[in-house]
Amino acid sequence: MDRLFRGRVEARFEGRLTGPVRQRHDTTEMRIGPADVPDVLRTLHDDPEFRFTFLSDLSGVDTGIVMQVVYHLWSDVTPDWLRIIADGLPRDDPRVPSVTFLWKGAEWMEREAYDMFGIVFEGNRDLRRIYMPPDYASFPLRKDFYLADDAARSPGAGVRHMEQVHRPREAAAADAVRRVRA
Amino acid sequence: MTATAGRPSADDPRVMLDQDVGVFEPVPPYPPRTEREAEFYTLGDGEMFINLGPQHPSTHGVLRVVLKLDGEKVVDLDPVLGYLHRGVEKLCENADYHQTISQVDPLEYVSSLFNEWAPVMSYEKLLDLEVPRRAEYIRVLSGELNRVASHALFMGWMALDLGGLTPILWSFIERDEIVEMLAALTGQRMLFNYFRIGGVNGDLNHEFMSRLGDWMGRATQQIDASLGLLNENEIFVRRMRGLGTIDSATALRMCWTGPNLRATGLPFDIRRAHPYSIYPEIDFDIPTRTEGDCLARYLLRFDEVKQSLRIIDQCLDRMPDGPIMAKLPRLLRPRPGRAYAAVEAPRGQYSTYAISDGTDQPFRLRIHDPSFIHLQSVGLLMPGHLIADTMAVMASLDPIMGGVDK
Repeated sequence: MDRLFRGRVEARFEGRLTGPVRQRHDTTEMRIGPADVPDVLRTLHDDPEFRFTFLSDLSGVDTGIVMQVVYHLWSDVTPDWLRIIADGLPRDDPRVPSVTFLWKGAEWMEREAYDMFGIVFEGNRDLRRIYMPPDYASFPLRKDFYLADDAARSPGAGVRHMEQVHRPREAAAADAVRRVRA
Repeated sequence: MTATAGRPSADDPRVMLDQDVGVFEPVPPYPPRTEREAEFYTLGDGEMFINLGPQHPSTHGVLRVVLKLDGEKVVDLDPVLGYLHRGVEKLCENADYHQTISQVDPLEYVSSLFNEWAPVMSYEKLLDLEVPRRAEYIRVLSGELNRVASHALFMGWMALDLGGLTPILWSFIERDEIVEMLAALTGQRMLFNYFRIGGVNGDLNHEFMSRLGDWMGRATQQIDASLGLLNENEIFVRRMRGLGTIDSATALRMCWTGPNLRATGLPFDIRRAHPYSIYPEIDFDIPTRTEGDCLARYLLRFDEVKQSLRIIDQCLDRMPDGPIMAKLPRLLRPRPGRAYAAVEAPRGQYSTYAISDGTDQPFRLRIHDPSFIHLQSVGLLMPGHLIADTMAVMASLDPIMGGVDK
């Protein structure tokens, strides 16, 4: 954990942060609103004080409450991974600006997030499905997309006995979506 | 006599002849969805489409590539993925923590230990778990062996895609020795299912150690002889030099990592850039090359194999005694949180991002695969080259379709 780096992030992105900057193990985590993504990432990428030139990962997340887009960046100025969470995308119309203007390689990762979550990356010029067929209509990694298996309908609350994995179909509540406050 | 007597049977060859099978229209039967798709599927003067795959042997799996050609020159290309998509991320969300290890195994099926390593590391972070040192040493030892096996396979395949049959036979000799060794250790030749959350599944055994000792005695020589078969072959070198060149700034913009990035001159290696396991204690170099072409990517892997041998040597030298598993309950319920872990796989940075919601199943397991990232750049490297070089460039990036399609 790089405490100094945390102070620098807090100072630099004062008004932009939508939550506290957290640190755990080898990761520094910051939360911003989706509209601030291009500015914040451009600053992190271009500023000689930060130099985050490696986009390690771009991932969509459905918390069951909101959608998020999570970026992991690497730089030589800190031993930590920097995790940027673009938080609070509405589940019925998730939209976030694209980062392909900084990393062209994010294009396919954004296509994947679009394919799996339906997150629209504005500014990505090739935003079409990448794994699923073009006429496919749903988004498989959303939390309200169940597997055909009954085990998938378990709300995941509490420990299940190994013998008791398959719950009867009617036991699944109508709102059995797994949610996490994260 | 039978109920189906009057109806045509699918087994009847005459019926099959009438059906329109095996025709793959390169142009999709629906209007373009994006600006880029519209641009790609509009033919310029004298251009044509050709469909490569999805069953083409040089695509290392099932990849379909639509090529836009001008004569024999590639103008542009559009990779079509998803033929091997199994939804591993979704399956992992519906399996408990231990079960996900076997789910991620078949992603990059030639370097499975790394597929297990990243999720296991991220779960260990979620659980605040300390892994015993002996287990870490065994992980590094078996991982580096797997890296050598994977690179050996790459070097054979590379030549095979260029039309040379001999090198793959030689590289399979090396690969087979290692794979048999790992089978003695893990019980499997390819999909090991060996790493556990908090350690590894089995301790070093006699058969593994004796095979490894045998092999290490002659490994350096043998690798020079069998993998170095093509290093100075004039036909091979002339074909590969200057092909698919990329500079380091572009490679960074394309999110490249691993040997492909190091072949452009950047010494970026997760084992040094963001150290994990016991790599900080181990002495090895990060080989780089500056050309950034297919030949550099090929030769760089050769250098990497030698560094892996150094690491294996040191692991054997310093292997500590002790337990190979941390003490932890069988049913894991990490407290809610997020963890990111990356390892340096043979193809680049392989990382996972795990979210826990306090239950026994991961809430989300994002898998970031280097093959996926590198395959994306084929469209950038190819324009202007001949159609036959598509295979050479693709092979030099070393994508594994199991990882690309997840």
